[in-house]
Amino acid sequence: MEESRDGGWTLVTRKPYFGLPTACPVCLPVYIYLKFGRCPFNLELNSSYPDSDQIPYIEGGTYVAYNNEKGGVIQQLKQDGVVDLDSEFSSLPEWVSMKAMMSSWLADAITYELWLGSGENSAKQIYYSDLPWVIGKVLFVKQVYDVKQRFHISKQNAEKKEEEIHDCAKAAYRALSAKLGEQDFLFESRPTSLDADLVGHVLFILQALPEDSVLRTAVLEHENLIRYAERHRNDILNSDPSSASASNFQPPPSAAQTSSSSKPKRKPKREKTEEEKRFQRKAKYFIGAQLAAVLLFLSLLGSSSKVDIDEDDED
Amino acid sequence: MAKPDEFKPDPPSENPKTEVDDENGDDVYEEEETEEHELDEEEDDEPEPQLRGRIPQSAVLMQQAKLQGLFQRLQTQSVPLRVHDVLIKGNTKTKDYLIESEAALFKNCTTMQQILEVSRAVNFRLQALEIFDSVKITLDSGPPELPGTSNVIVEVQEAKSPLSGEIGAYTKAEARSSTVEGTLKFKNIFGHGDLWDGSFAYGWDNLAELSAGVHFPRFRGASFPLDVRAFLLSQDWLQFSSFKERSMGLSVALLSSRNHDLVYNLGWRTLTDPSQLASRSVRMQLGHSLLSSLKYTFKVDRRNSPLRPVRGYAFAATSQIAGLAPDSRCSRFLRQEVDLRYAIPLGILNSALNLGISGGIVFPWGTGFKNLPSPLPDRFFLGGNSSPISSLGGPTTVWGYRTRGLGPTEPRRQLKSNGGDEDAADPGADFLGGDLAVTAFADLSLDFPLRWFRDRGIHGHIFASAGSLERLTQNAYKDFSLQKFVSSFRTSVGAGIVVPIQPFRLELNYYYMLKKFEHDRGKPRFGVTFSM
Repeated sequence: MEESRDGGWTLVTRKPYFGLPTACPVCLPVYIYLKFGRCPFNLELNSSYPDSDQIPYIEGGTYVAYNNEKGGVIQQLKQDGVVDLDSEFSSLPEWVSMKAMMSSWLADAITYELWLGSGENSAKQIYYSDLPWVIGKVLFVKQVYDVKQRFHISKQNAEKKEEEIHDCAKAAYRALSAKLGEQDFLFESRPTSLDADLVGHVLFILQALPEDSVLRTAVLEHENLIRYAERHRNDILNSDPSSASASNFQPPPSAAQTSSSSKPKRKPKREKTEEEKRFQRKAKYFIGAQLAAVLLFLSLLGSSSKVDIDEDDED
Repeated sequence: MAKPDEFKPDPPSENPKTEVDDENGDDVYEEEETEEHELDEEEDDEPEPQLRGRIPQSAVLMQQAKLQGLFQRLQTQSVPLRVHDVLIKGNTKTKDYLIESEAALFKNCTTMQQILEVSRAVNFRLQALEIFDSVKITLDSGPPELPGTSNVIVEVQEAKSPLSGEIGAYTKAEARSSTVEGTLKFKNIFGHGDLWDGSFAYGWDNLAELSAGVHFPRFRGASFPLDVRAFLLSQDWLQFSSFKERSMGLSVALLSSRNHDLVYNLGWRTLTDPSQLASRSVRMQLGHSLLSSLKYTFKVDRRNSPLRPVRGYAFAATSQIAGLAPDSRCSRFLRQEVDLRYAIPLGILNSALNLGISGGIVFPWGTGFKNLPSPLPDRFFLGGNSSPISSLGGPTTVWGYRTRGLGPTEPRRQLKSNGGDEDAADPGADFLGGDLAVTAFADLSLDFPLRWFRDRGIHGHIFASAGSLERLTQNAYKDFSLQKFVSSFRTSVGAGIVVPIQPFRLELNYYYMLKKFEHDRGKPRFGVTFSM
């Protein structure tokens, strides 16, 4: 009989891909949120249940916070006192409206792009690459149908709906870009769940969607959003000195879930696609140009994380 | 032996025409005999006025003597006779090859006795196809230029109604337990003896199955039947292990005979947890998987009765290999089960001592197999309301323990109560099953002194059973020791009354647990088991 585990959280997400610790746009903000909150956790991967709304979930002993309960994993982590980065801001009207904008317009935009737009191949890689071909194919077709039903898309209104969704996303990017400016975070100088959502959203668009993606083109128009996401990406991936770089996050050996620590194992090198090579070249340019800003940010992050740890201890 | 026909008086024949058994038995023969008598009489009637009184008594006596002589020869000697040709009549839809292949046994016959025996066998096999209302096999004289030969005429009457329905108790290849099922059948649509059926089944272990299949007795001339079924199966284990299983796919019975069964299964299996209370080990297994497996079963049952064995033995071994697909992402494991039963008659009050032992092991294979868990639905679970005496389906039962009532467990997800920080009521634990399972039992059965019970087959029994489960996967085999495994055996004893209701075995028992562990679901109680 397995003993329940005391202490130590485990975040269960979908598989890593495109240089991200988890390529799922729903799982990535939760991962980033825990990183922002300096909450130690193990990462486990689930590749056999792509259509589950329970994933991502976090577990510790007999405690489990599923994503399809009580407003999501982040909301439950706040309510249960595990990690709460929004305590000072969640009552602000601006915070609430931005949260609503991100969880509706931007979430819808990602969903549309992934399943009905140019991100079809990305979706297949993220959700179905570890499942047998037949099952993956059927689930993909079912998911596309479900998304169409959700957005009430038909042949007659498909173009109009697409334009509507993209227009909302562009408006959201403009608002967020204006709010962010050149700050490190959206609100004051500390991360919140909004930052986790936005960083996850932008990183996913930049790294997982193809170059001809409408969302990608729209995001690239706001350079401050790009810098903001890249800055935090490096921090998130490099925050654990024992963790390997993002490109070494490994898919599990089979479709079954396996456990891994924050230091994923190296896998045998695989052939990189042209897209990935281009991403890596651009990443090198960004790192070179932003080196000074990163050093400054690290010093600022050090002081803000000290405040967060004190808050967690009080909880 | 079939009664020989009366010889027609004119002309005499070296190869007499013979009727053999029909589905209506002797009645038709008698009718036909009567008809022939009538024919004979009719034939005799016409010339009768001329011949009557002119047939010498000696001619009649000679014919009777010949007839008796033939009788004696058939009984005491081999009457050499070969089959020259098999003629098929009455099949408007059914293909000739199907009937010819069933009647192929005639080719090897060299005597009249063999032909009569083979006729019975062929009649039975054609009836077993379930596509004919009646089958009549007649022997006729062969060509005059080939003496000592005969022609066999197989006359069939195809089923008038291609539709039939039935309700029964079965054990199908893809089902894990016995089921009660209702079936609708369409017969012989394409003339290949094909039987199409749609069925709904309900099993004792919360199993519901909807399936449709086709049976070809000899597909394209092959010597063995072919069964193909498409199934949609749902099994609810929420109460015991916090998951539901849904499976859909195809099952092909490649070989099916008295002792051997070879089945290929291709299925899409999905495990879900609508309750969202599953323990960690179960959560890890939720999702989709593809099962492509070959399962071979060898079974021999030499007991006098599976419901109340008094003498004899039974042995069954099932081997399953999953992962037979070019796609390496499908479920991969090896599974082996063994069953042995032995009944020793004791001679008093029809008593017998039944001994049985069952074992099973499941292990994944493929890259990194040592770190992989075995698939949850394919593990062994012990407990339930079936008797180990009748069933030969691997280690499944320890008397007295409830369904999936013993073995490794893991605490379920703990929910907080609505009120505050206190935890809600204990959600219990999930039974995880085991990769290695062994069960054993001893059962002493004996008749009651009263004749009323004996006439109905109702008897008593005293029994003892033991069983245990152990995990081996995910490197747990490194901690395995035989001593530890033996010490983990649960044991129970009891006594009861057995009521055989064909084809079921109903037991009314009292169970007492001699040894159980903390989370096992078994306690001293009265209970009923139902098995077939």
